[in-house]
Amino acid sequence: MHIPDGFIAPQVYMPAYGVAGVLWAAGLRRLRRTLEPAAVPRLAVATASAYALMLVTIPLPGGTTAHITGVGMMAVLLGSRQAFLALSLVFLIQALSLGDGGVTALPVNALAVGLVGSAVARAAYALAPGRPWSLFLAGWLGTVVPAVVVALVLGWQPRLGATADGQPLYFPFGWAVTLPAIVLPHLMVGIADGVVTVASWRMLRAKEAA
Amino acid sequence: MKDRALLALYLGLVVAGSLVHDARWLGAGLALVILSAWRDAWPLMRRTVRAVWPFVTAIALGWLLVQRGDWRAAAPVTLRITARVTLLTMLAFRMLPAVSLPRALGFSPTLRFVLVLATSQLLTFRRLFTDFRLALLARTPRRVGPTVALRHGATTAAWFLRRAEHDATLMSEALDARGFFLDRD
Repeated sequence: MHIPDGFIAPQVYMPAYGVAGVLWAAGLRRLRRTLEPAAVPRLAVATASAYALMLVTIPLPGGTTAHITGVGMMAVLLGSRQAFLALSLVFLIQALSLGDGGVTALPVNALAVGLVGSAVARAAYALAPGRPWSLFLAGWLGTVVPAVVVALVLGWQPRLGATADGQPLYFPFGWAVTLPAIVLPHLMVGIADGVVTVASWRMLRAKEAA
Repeated sequence: MKDRALLALYLGLVVAGSLVHDARWLGAGLALVILSAWRDAWPLMRRTVRAVWPFVTAIALGWLLVQRGDWRAAAPVTLRITARVTLLTMLAFRMLPAVSLPRALGFSPTLRFVLVLATSQLLTFRRLFTDFRLALLARTPRRVGPTVALRHGATTAAWFLRRAEHDATLMSEALDARGFFLDRD
């Protein structure tokens, strides 16, 4: 999901900025109006921990590695609204300060990972709160569903912009390529995300009980 | 004001760059960015190539495969996409270091506040994460396998989440002690 600039058509990233912008503004307004003094610092450190979770790498078959997304964990611990804001801030800082991922991919990532991913993960967790299987499902779905959304968005690009002779102007591959190429590895990453979500949840509960 | 104007200019150039489809114009834009960097042109080019090569190589090879190895048929799309991705990435590396993000996004005091706190914490967490990873490597005589990696990932995640809660409490107490919350509406 570290898509550089130039792959996504303006017909996609501009409306995506519109939708994400409205949600960001509503989230920030809600944050400003909250009477709890710790709300803003909590969001800031949640952002930093969301970034730290994304640094956790796991080896994949074939000698490669992938990083977990931590979306399920963030959604379970913070709720989908806070997770959306925290993950959006991570993408904003990555795109504009750390040079990781393009500014045109920012709203797509925020909506796919931050909004859809955390909402699905939270819904999965709500099926049986605290149970290992619901935590695993939250971690797995929080990774796989955003991957499907991003694959659909990328695979849509050839239909959005093409020259008169049908040559693509942006990302050139359709869904037949993007869905297997992006979703299949994330099925594995999702398993790792699910295991990490269950294990770290247990560790947090054990520390609290101690 | 300067930061906001620079960020707006950068975003405008990104939109313009994504609306240009002629590889020659994109190449001219690339030359302009390189010339504008002057003495820093070489590090800028090196950083850009390092950032974009996995993507553009995968796209170029994949598209060549779709075109059944016909270089001539694959060249226009490959050139256009490579030139655009390289231009926009180089533009980001050229312009964004000059922009102070909290100042540029200062139209929302809440956003600026969160950004400053989040960035400082994020850089600290990144350093701590590197220390954790190096400690794992130093204590593992063999190559780190999936089980160890997952256990380490879960421990690290739990540690960061606990640390986050602790830091949030400390930060809000420090801000409260300095009267930060007194002027909140």
